Amino acid sequence: MAFNSVRYILVQGLVSLKRNLWLSLASILTVAVSLILLGSSIIFLANTATIAKTFESQVQIAVFLDDKLNDGQVVAIQNRIKNLPGIESVTLTTKEQALWEFQESMSTTSLLEDLGGINPFPDKITIVATDPKLVQGIASQVEKISGVESVRYGQGILEKLLAFTNWLRWIGVAVVAAFTFAALLLISLSIKTNVNSREKEIQIMRLVGASNSFIRWPFIIEGLVVGLVGALVAVVAVGFAYSWLLQYIISTLAFIPVVANQQFLLMVFLIMMLGGMLMGTLASVISVRKFLRF
Amino acid sequence: MIKLKNVSKIYPNGARALMGVNLRIAKGEFVFLVGPSGAGKSTLIKLLYREEIATRGQVLINNINLVRLKNSQIPALRRNMGVIFQDFKLLPNKTVFENVAFALQVIGKNKKEIRESTLSMLDLVGLSSKVKAFPSELSGGEQQRVCVARALVNRPGLLIADEPTGNLDVDTAWGIVDLLDKINKYGTTVVMATHALQIVEQMNKRVVRVEGGRIIEDKAGEEVRIGI
Repeated sequence: MAFNSVRYILVQGLVSLKRNLWLSLASILTVAVSLILLGSSIIFLANTATIAKTFESQVQIAVFLDDKLNDGQVVAIQNRIKNLPGIESVTLTTKEQALWEFQESMSTTSLLEDLGGINPFPDKITIVATDPKLVQGIASQVEKISGVESVRYGQGILEKLLAFTNWLRWIGVAVVAAFTFAALLLISLSIKTNVNSREKEIQIMRLVGASNSFIRWPFIIEGLVVGLVGALVAVVAVGFAYSWLLQYIISTLAFIPVVANQQFLLMVFLIMMLGGMLMGTLASVISVRKFLRF
Repeated sequence: MIKLKNVSKIYPNGARALMGVNLRIAKGEFVFLVGPSGAGKSTLIKLLYREEIATRGQVLINNINLVRLKNSQIPALRRNMGVIFQDFKLLPNKTVFENVAFALQVIGKNKKEIRESTLSMLDLVGLSSKVKAFPSELSGGEQQRVCVARALVNRPGLLIADEPTGNLDVDTAWGIVDLLDKINKYGTTVVMATHALQIVEQMNKRVVRVEGGRIIEDKAGEEVRIGI
């Protein structure tokens, strides 16, 4: 394409932004609102996933062993458990360790004597599963190993927790999907209004022999600029809002695990910027296509 | 220059606009296309600038078959013809100069060329004094003159006019027709669809009468200049 045309297209894209100032502002605002929705829903999703994961990772299986086992048998059981599928880690707490830990927590040094020389703690093996859904299966297998006296993993509560975290994840995904859809709809609507308002111009361009790409490019550039500016507004808004929210949560509701790492936020902002440009461009292409069918 | 061979046009809704039309228009001719509303005049005009595609037959302009033309070739076709309409189709937020220059901008001409061609064309249609006016500040006749200037500014060989005087009073209409006649005398082929029978009679040009989708009369004018 000739230099004259490229310059015309660039200038035209920007001039039409200025000429249709209110419409452009409305489009920018639409993009910004859409991306704020998108960005916050991604952050929401990440946080629900983290919360779910944190809760789930706290699920452990406690295996209490028979008192009469010797050290070799204990190690054998430990190894058998290690070889089960879906095991993340196996930690042995011997009865001596258990006693010592309890003694520490009681801040006394003569617990064993107080108990009459008998250590009441059993040997305990703590199992963490790779996936909390496997906990039940692992527990029932471990129960069958001889020398295992009892297995505890918060029966009943685990099922409820899993149901809750699943539900939390689905909500996160649903929120992202709904808002992405709404954002696309809003943007294409506002660009469509823009294109419709210039239907006559496009008609005349076609009539005097402007090529399709020549007609399309100013709109694409306009969409790109609208998307970019809208995304900037959204990034600033989400950035400030989230940092405020983080401080609030950390200072008052510290037990809720939040996602606060910089890399994650940068990634979200990058997604928003790219999303804005993509949405703006795509909406332009789609809206203007209607007029370029011959 | 223009050849229609056995052309039929049936719209997707089943309406038969044209049936087996044959027509030849030579370079440099001035042809009136007449007939009642709904006779097929507008469809015929639209086939010429490839707004519509013939269902059957061939539409040839300078030996290029428009029926087989790819979409990407339409801009090149339109750069070699000018089209004007009853409803002008000017951009209201552009001045007279900008409206005419627009036709050159979109085909990538440089600023100097645009300025020279636009001003000389506005001079030809008699609007040198209204260069900076907006369409809303012009009379109907003046607006149509702007359209003529825009249609001709890149010097096409063919001017297609679809009811160009439909919105104008008699005197103004004559002004436009005189302008088209002048342009024709400079060598541009003119095809004009019209209802203005008085003008058609007095001009003594070739008249093609369309009715019910067929050409029912083709009367040569007095000063036929075929083959120029």
